[in-house]
Order: sequence, then structure tokens, then C-alpha cells
Amino acid sequence: MFNKILIANRGEIAVRIIRACKELGATTVAVYSDADRRSLHVALADEAYHIGGSAPNESYLVIDKIIDVAKKSGAQAIHPGFGFLSENEAFAKRCEKEKIVFIGPSAEAIRLMGDKITARKIAQNAKVPLVPGSDGAVTDVEASGVADKIGYPVMIKASAGGGGKGMRLVRDKEDFESSLRMARSEARSSFGDDSVFVERFVEEPRHVEIQIIADTHGNTLYLFERECSIQRRHQKVIEEAPSPGISAKTRKKMGEVAVRISKAVNYTGAGTVEFIMDQKENFFFLEMNTRVQVEHPVTEMITGLDIVKWMVRIAEGEKLPFKQKDLSINGWAVECRVYAEDPETNFMPSPGHLYYVKAPTGPGIRDDSSIYSGYEVTSFYDPMLSKLVVWAESREVAIDKMASALTEYIVLGVKTNIGFLIRVMNNEDFRQGKLDTGFIERHPELLTPGEVDIEPAVIAAALAVEDAEEIIESDKAPQSNWKLLGRKASLSGGSLI
Amino acid sequence: MTYTFKIKDQVFSVDIDKEKDQTVVKINEKDIPVEFEKIDNNLYSIILNGKSLTIGVLKNGNNIQVFMNGDLFEIEAISERDQRKSSQVLSGVQEIKSPMPSRVVKILKEIGDEVSADEGIVVVEAMKMESELKSPIEGKVTDILVNEGDAVEAGNTLLIVSSE
Repeated sequence: MFNKILIANRGEIAVRIIRACKELGATTVAVYSDADRRSLHVALADEAYHIGGSAPNESYLVIDKIIDVAKKSGAQAIHPGFGFLSENEAFAKRCEKEKIVFIGPSAEAIRLMGDKITARKIAQNAKVPLVPGSDGAVTDVEASGVADKIGYPVMIKASAGGGGKGMRLVRDKEDFESSLRMARSEARSSFGDDSVFVERFVEEPRHVEIQIIADTHGNTLYLFERECSIQRRHQKVIEEAPSPGISAKTRKKMGEVAVRISKAVNYTGAGTVEFIMDQKENFFFLEMNTRVQVEHPVTEMITGLDIVKWMVRIAEGEKLPFKQKDLSINGWAVECRVYAEDPETNFMPSPGHLYYVKAPTGPGIRDDSSIYSGYEVTSFYDPMLSKLVVWAESREVAIDKMASALTEYIVLGVKTNIGFLIRVMNNEDFRQGKLDTGFIERHPELLTPGEVDIEPAVIAAALAVEDAEEIIESDKAPQSNWKLLGRKASLSGGSLI
Repeated sequence: MTYTFKIKDQVFSVDIDKEKDQTVVKINEKDIPVEFEKIDNNLYSIILNGKSLTIGVLKNGNNIQVFMNGDLFEIEAISERDQRKSSQVLSGVQEIKSPMPSRVVKILKEIGDEVSADEGIVVVEAMKMESELKSPIEGKVTDILVNEGDAVEAGNTLLIVSSE
């Protein structure tokens, strides 16, 4: 049993972990940067240590500073959360060397899964389905043969690629040769390397992932799937568990595949195996995330298991007291990530001072957040404000509950995606489970409020402004022209109500 | 008190009339009875014709942010000067109001007179300074509600100009 745990993270996940550790009876140690002195994780932890500048590479990413605090405070274990050092092999190794328990998998498991090519090889050996394609770079002659074998449509990708450069989608065999030529020349000019590989193009792909949990006694279980297809800028915005439209058979198959690949790297702790899935439930391995996932709460809601607490217990050497057959899905959970960002300008981050925050409450509503009235959203970190999670007996009821809860969420001071999230909840395609990663692009109408009655907003603005002025007036008793000047000034600038 | 607000391209004129037990808001020539309570810093409960709304309002200078049903609306409060500047977008019936407690010095027009936008129609005096109030629109003076020498309060209507 750990007496003291250091949480090497910030924001809502640090808050989430601090709460779990406190409930387990451990003393919690927070670390914070210049920008985070007023952050909630600092206030909630039992101890807090300043570790440097606001930029992550001056604080949360500096291994020496985290280790120093662990030693100074006498923490026996470090929970890395997600992002920052959570998937850093060197950090896990350093913890091992310093005899501090890293709450997560071994440094070796992080290394194996962290390298895309190695991970793909491990998956192949473990008979985990991969997107069919050429095994590495191909010659012109090989390429067309590979395309024929895996079937059209295919994607030609630059080996050295990224950012869509050197990528060509080919739907018909007759276009293959010219597309290959163009892909190669683009690859050459962009990366100075014209080698390409060929892969099956997964149409209307969905992102479905399996949560796994493994103890140090050889027990590896899957906690079912999460549907994460609603993404913007290749980042998830809305997640749910279970996934709508996958059969019990596929679920079991995916779960077993995820367990297999986890066992192949002797994985311990909580991890997530990500798959890309077509509309016919064919699924292919993408990668394994060797840490707690942002969207872990939806799995907690449907399984009744506290994943963060189990991470800590597993790191303490505890054996999982349940087997796969003991686990089942209860009801439905949906998570919406509330961001300080503007959906109307391609989800551009909107940092700033939060003048007012009011989060929804009620049965089945969970708000994993780290914001409060007066909090400053800085541009140093991810602009996620909160993860709003709901649980209900069915998907339909959960979506209704989420839509209702979102309308209770009030954030004043920055732009948020709350209105956008409400519109997704009310969208017919979403409600029917017609999901793929192109959903947001296909529904640009959800980005703006559209035709709404703004009269109430205008009336509220007028009443609020008048109300604020009356307060100013009642402060200064006798009627004077100076007061009128002040009143005019307050109308035209400066005052906050 | 009258407020002129702009959201994107739409201009709204909102008139608040507080009686003893009832506040009436006049917006776009409609009278709407309204119940209004501040329930927290920046948070207001509004009942409009029985419809209950919780609305967040944040004012920073001329910029007013209104948060309603998950969406943030940016409203620009237009001062009288700006209002005159954008008079070309205004039309219909316009009330010429006194911006402050003052004395009516001179009425420059008579009922039925044509006025152009930005033309002075009444002179008022406050704080020992005379200022000319101008018509925001082109039209005709349809009503004069005060006499020269009258003392008026802020928001009192002095004249009415109509473009119809």
C-alpha cells in the first residue's frame, strides 16, 4: 500500500487521480508550473511543489524535476496521467532506477508499443488484424500486384509521409499507375524519398477501442469497447460506451485480440488498444496507448470499475479479484469533451479568463473538470475544460440526458464548443448511430447556432446592463451630474458585471 | 432606458420600462412583459411570457457576451454617436430621446417637417452645455412631445420621426 503518491500531471486528470489516491488513503503530491499556481489540482492535493516555467518542457516534461519532488516529498509512486511523461520510456526507466513505482506498464512495454513499426510487427505475430497492405515499401511492379490482392479502393502512402503529403486514394485499377507516379513525385519533393507503400482504404472508418486491464499475476481482462468516431482535427470530442452497432460477437473478438496483443508485451496496468473499423465491423489494429485514456470514464460508468484506482492497486501488486466472465456491460455512457475553442473558426483554441462557470448536476451526471469561476485558461496547455459524462439505461436516454445536461453548462469568458455538442446530441445521424470519423466534416451546419431566436439574449443583455447601472447609481446617493458621467462611462467601457 | 445593440448585422433597439410591479421590454416594436432576477454573479433568470431562461451575461466595455443554451452571442452596445453613424441602416419610427436630464432649449422643427438623417431637430442643455440632438433617419417629424423650456429626464421622448 502506497502512503504517498506523486501525480505528475495537471488539469482535470490530475484532479481525477488525486481524488482516487485520497480515497485509497494515500497522501497526494501535486507538481505545478508558473501558470498553474491557481489550478485546482494544486488546491486539492495534500502537498504541492513548484517545478518551473509554464511551458511543458520547463516543468511537466522535465524528468529530473519530477524525480526530485518525488524524493523530497518521499512519494513511493508516481502516476503520470496522460500526455506529458505518461508514455515516455526514459521516465519509466528512471523511476525503476530510483526505486519509485511508475503507475503504469513496464518501460519495455512502453518502448515496444511506442514505436509504430515495432508495434505493427508485434501485432502481426500475435495474429492481430492489420489493415491489409504491402509489408513496407514497394516497387512499381509489386505495388500494382499488392493493390489487386487487397482489393480496391486502396491508399498509396509515402513511407516518410505525414500531413497527407504523398497520399493518393485510388478507387479503380485503371487509375493506379498514374496515382502511383504522382504519389512518388510528391513524396520525393516533400520528403526527399520516393518510397511508398500500399494499403486498403477503409471507407467511412470508425474509431473503436478496447480498454484492457492487467495485473502482475498474469490476469489480462478487457473492459469492452469505446466508440470514439466523433473527431475534429484528428482528436476525439465525443466518446461512448458501448459502441452502437457492433455485435456481441465482434465485441468478444476485439476484446480477445486486445488481450492477446497486451499479453505479447507483458502489459500491466490499464491500457487501450485502438482499432479502425469499417461499416461491416471489420476491424484493424491502429496502436496501443500505454496509459490511462482521456475517455476512461465512459468505461467506468458501464462496468462499475474505477480504472484509476485499479491502476494504483495493480502497481501495488494486488491481484484482480474478478475474471472476464464476471464483467458485463450495464447501460450506456456518453462523454463530451468541453473545450475552450471556437467551432466556427475550425475549433481554434480560445484561452482567457473564466468569469463564471456553472456545471450541470443531477442523477447520472459526472463532470470531470478542473475549472471554476475565476480560472484562467492559458495557451500553454490543451484547452479542454471538462469531460462531461452521463450514464443512463440506454443510448437514447443517455443522449437525451447529455443534451439536457449540456444546456445547464454555463461558461462565461471564453468561446466553448457546448452549443456544438448540444447540436450533435440532437442530430438524427448521431442519434441513429451513423458514425464515422468524417461525421463533423459532413455536418458543417452543427458548427454554428443557425436560426435561433436571439431576442431573449438581447433582452437579457439590456436588463443585465441596466441592473449593473442601478447598482452603480445606488452606491452614490445625491443626484449629480458626475454620477451621470459615471453612468455613461460604465455604458461605454470598462465595467464588468 | 433605451439600449441599441448589434449582433452580427442585426440592430436591436431595446427599451426597458420599469413600472411598480411589472417590467416591460420593448424590442422591435413589441412590448414583452418580463420577470428578471439576478441569481448569481453574471447569471440571470428571465421569464418571458412564461418561458423561463437562465442566461449568463458578461459586459466588457461595449462588448457584451451573452451565454444562452450553450452558445455565446457577442453583442456590441452602440452608443448614441455610433448609432447616428449607422443611421442608414435604421428606418421606421424613431423616438428622439433625451440622453440625460436636461432642459429643452429650442425645437428646430414642426410637425410635418421633412428631416434628413443627421439633421439637428432639437437643442437641449445639460451641465451648462447645449447640444443638438439629430434625427437618426430621413423622414418626417410626426410628433413633438415637449415644449421649449421643459425640464426632461434621461430617456424621455422629445420628438418622433418616421420614415414611412
